[in-house]
Amino acid sequence: MATLDGPAEGLDPELQQSIILTKVDWVKDWGRRNALWPMAFGLACCAMEMMATAATKYDLDRFGAGVFRASPRQSDLMIVAGTVTHKMAPRVKRLYDQMPDPKYVIAMGACVVGGGPYVKHGYHVVQGVDLVVPVDVYLPGCPPRPEALIDAIRKLQLRILQRGGATLPARRQATVA
Amino acid sequence: MSTTPSPAGTPAPAALVDPVTERAHALLAARLPGVVVAQELAGRHPWIRVTAAGLRDALRLLRDDPTTQLECCHLISGVDWPARKPGETAELEVVYHLVSYALPYDAAYKARRGPQAKNDPWVAIKVRVPREAPEVPSVMDLFTGADWHERETYDLLGVRFTGRGFVPRILLPEDWPGYPLRKDWETPTDYHGIPIVPPEGL
Repeated sequence: MATLDGPAEGLDPELQQSIILTKVDWVKDWGRRNALWPMAFGLACCAMEMMATAATKYDLDRFGAGVFRASPRQSDLMIVAGTVTHKMAPRVKRLYDQMPDPKYVIAMGACVVGGGPYVKHGYHVVQGVDLVVPVDVYLPGCPPRPEALIDAIRKLQLRILQRGGATLPARRQATVA
Repeated sequence: MSTTPSPAGTPAPAALVDPVTERAHALLAARLPGVVVAQELAGRHPWIRVTAAGLRDALRLLRDDPTTQLECCHLISGVDWPARKPGETAELEVVYHLVSYALPYDAAYKARRGPQAKNDPWVAIKVRVPREAPEVPSVMDLFTGADWHERETYDLLGVRFTGRGFVPRILLPEDWPGYPLRKDWETPTDYHGIPIVPPEGL
């Protein structure tokens, strides 16, 4: 990676790498971490808890993640809140593809994590949304309480801080192209 | 069904004849001979079974006759009856629940029957068709609300409703294989590349 003006004259390239560029990445990650814009995207009952999380009592804005956008093109974070059916899966995938990088996914609720109560006899439910899109944080619960969703968002922020938002490695890859 | 025991001193619900179903049955037997195939006028869930050819006439009569006035099609559902013994024909059954909001319920019947009595006069009409050619005439022009119910019955059981044009699926994707509520339906191993682990694999 280069700076805006190209390689700086007279500086040790290694020093440049270790100080300036790391600093820029850190600032970028700091900005991403503290201004996560989730997509207003609810599929089932978990969306009720997601709405409660964003409302006054739990006030997700305290953590910089309360600006729910009505368009995937303005969002960084997709909280998949609710049962993903096989009919809905292509739509979830398309919305994920429309989000600009860097983008993050929280799988909220038992249905999204692994099929939930439908996993055995619900022929119509995808057995985990990670079969469709890559997932950063898994949040079990039926439905998870708003505190749990806040905790998941804090964990995602911690992950962005520790590993870097632009280079999140080792996410479980989706099997669907 | 409710498992609440009947109040002390009242007869068992199975012994009570439902007055609305009895009236509807008498009306059908008098005005449309040959349409009623079987009936169960007592019990928790009384019903009248009619032929598929006479279904529309029967429902129209029950809707328009002043003694029944069953003007609301409350529910349409389906039942799969596979052949359980050799020689038995596999059948699909469609159940129509008609409700009258105009007529009061039989007060004496309701007092005898106790809290299990329904509030509105209510009749279940059933029709059975062979499983190989499950064709039932549509009643969408008689009851507008029948539209989505017929689509759902087609979606999950594969009953074809004739006389209303193309019936699209309502809940499942358009290219979903088969009809999931049939007894012999098997879960596919994947759908559009998304694997489905069968129940025995979990």
